[in-house]
Amino acid sequence: MGLILSLIGIVATVWLGFTGRLGLYIHPRYTVFTLIMALLAGVIAVIAFTVVPGKDDEHGHDDAPPPTRRGRVLRRGKTAGLVAIVVVAMFALLVLPPSTLSAATAQERTVNAAAPAPNSSSIDSILTGADTSTFTVKDWSLYLRMGASDDFLASHPAEVVGFVSADPDDPQNVFYVTRFTITCCAVDATPIGLAVYLPGWSDRYHEGDWVSVNGSIVANPSSSSAEPFAIAPSQVSPVAEPPEPYVY
Amino acid sequence: MGSTIFDADEDSLPVPDASATFNPRIRRDAQRGGRGSRRGWLVLAVILIAAFFGLRMFSPAGDWDTASVLQDFFTLSISVVVESLPFVFLGILLSTVVQVWLPSGLLLRRLPRAPVLRRLVLSLLGVLFPVCECGNMPLARGLMLRGLTVSDSVTFLLAAPILNPVTIITTYQAFGWEDGILVSRVLGGFVIANLVGAVVAAHPSPDRLLTPSFQAACDVAGHAHASVSRIRRSAGAFAEETSAMLPALFVGSAIAGAIQVGVHRDLLSSLGSNPLLSVVALLVLAFVVSICSNVDAFFVLSLGSTFMPGGIVAFLVFGPMIDIKMLSLMRTTYTARALVLITALVALCVIVLGLGVNLGA
Repeated sequence: MGLILSLIGIVATVWLGFTGRLGLYIHPRYTVFTLIMALLAGVIAVIAFTVVPGKDDEHGHDDAPPPTRRGRVLRRGKTAGLVAIVVVAMFALLVLPPSTLSAATAQERTVNAAAPAPNSSSIDSILTGADTSTFTVKDWSLYLRMGASDDFLASHPAEVVGFVSADPDDPQNVFYVTRFTITCCAVDATPIGLAVYLPGWSDRYHEGDWVSVNGSIVANPSSSSAEPFAIAPSQVSPVAEPPEPYVY
Repeated sequence: MGSTIFDADEDSLPVPDASATFNPRIRRDAQRGGRGSRRGWLVLAVILIAAFFGLRMFSPAGDWDTASVLQDFFTLSISVVVESLPFVFLGILLSTVVQVWLPSGLLLRRLPRAPVLRRLVLSLLGVLFPVCECGNMPLARGLMLRGLTVSDSVTFLLAAPILNPVTIITTYQAFGWEDGILVSRVLGGFVIANLVGAVVAAHPSPDRLLTPSFQAACDVAGHAHASVSRIRRSAGAFAEETSAMLPALFVGSAIAGAIQVGVHRDLLSSLGSNPLLSVVALLVLAFVVSICSNVDAFFVLSLGSTFMPGGIVAFLVFGPMIDIKMLSLMRTTYTARALVLITALVALCVIVLGLGVNLGA
């Protein structure tokens, strides 16, 4: 059973790796290690298959006293449990299409609940000359929290891609362009986002839609939103989910 | 899954010991186990792999349109599996090396005799085996099959993921010397692991803390299978360990995924500034998130502004020792009662440690 489960895990990992989708689940720094271990384990599993024949269909252990009725029921239950694990594992790892975390999880984890701690006072000097067109949601979110000046913001419009999630404090007027940031794997994914002030946005976009937003960052016009800054969008256009949906 | 360890050792390896003569099936297998049947199994393995790949490639590639909570449950669980699997394999390989390839007693004979000293040395063993916690379980099992006592193994399991070069470096990168977080983590982990080891050692019959199936495997391991080739024994050990570990990993990942979908995190973050509650909140978060000890410092760094340093230390000490996935893996070896005892002890120690950091800061 262990060998079959191994093969399921290995095949799933290798397939994700070679179709470039391992990044949906783990941080890219693990990709090489994960693939090497998967291939190595695959070779060993195949060898073990040939050396340890019939392990799973021989449950008898002749030194032990003949199994009691209860023992037989237990063993049958255990086998059924193992079969169930294999079936579910095959379904989860081999049948389901790979996917990212949804906007529901972003809501549940509270966007920007755990913002990176500021660690610089002279943020504008760091940003001088920076190419803000390459800034991601994460970069902007970080620099806003570190106190980028109004002058800087006025002269540097943001252009970011993320999925839509509502601002719980002002869902009519404000939504977040959201990305998940990952340190290890999708389990620790933390949503971060830039607020976008666009009254009536929910008529045109649903939560979870991927959008590209252009516009300058201004003091948030919304009175109930907790976000001090928001993008006043000059353009919001729907886009396809990027191949690397997370930011690092 | 429990009995598979035992079965595998008796049935699958054609061991020429006493039991073989009582088991006609084994004797027959041993005689017949020639090239032909082996090639058959190879073909079967290749067919299985091809079938799995086929299934994967011909599964519909479309997007989900069902409830996104269910989708997130699967994504989270799969991510725990994909992330842990290579480390579990690495641990199993190291365990196999310890069981089969290292000369008997090379490691254990050099350990000090006195239990307290031995545990001190073992808690530093993680420096030699920089595997994170999911790889340590199979390694600890391998060491126990080679004669490590129950309390020794507990000390090793609790200490190794923290007293480990990769973990220390990443913690330093994340926090530096700020608030004594690094020092509290390393020293606290060291002390707690030895303390809990000492408590387990005080148990009147520590063997009763082990699951019956693992006890049996230990008994069998006592008789050396000298005449069976090492390759064969390695393959056998790999098959046994994957049979014990992978079902536990898959179930643990599913539970971790389910709880992640269910537990609201903002509930936890509202407790950040209370000296006691911040510790308890991050303890619970560490338990739920089941993140690898090598990188957990980066994860908790983002919580540094919301939580007091004692809470951060609690997360960094408790998480590597105990979490959902780890308990599921440890359950292959220790009884549920033992795990409740160990978890309660560790939690208590970590709360004291975290509270101390908060009040001292």
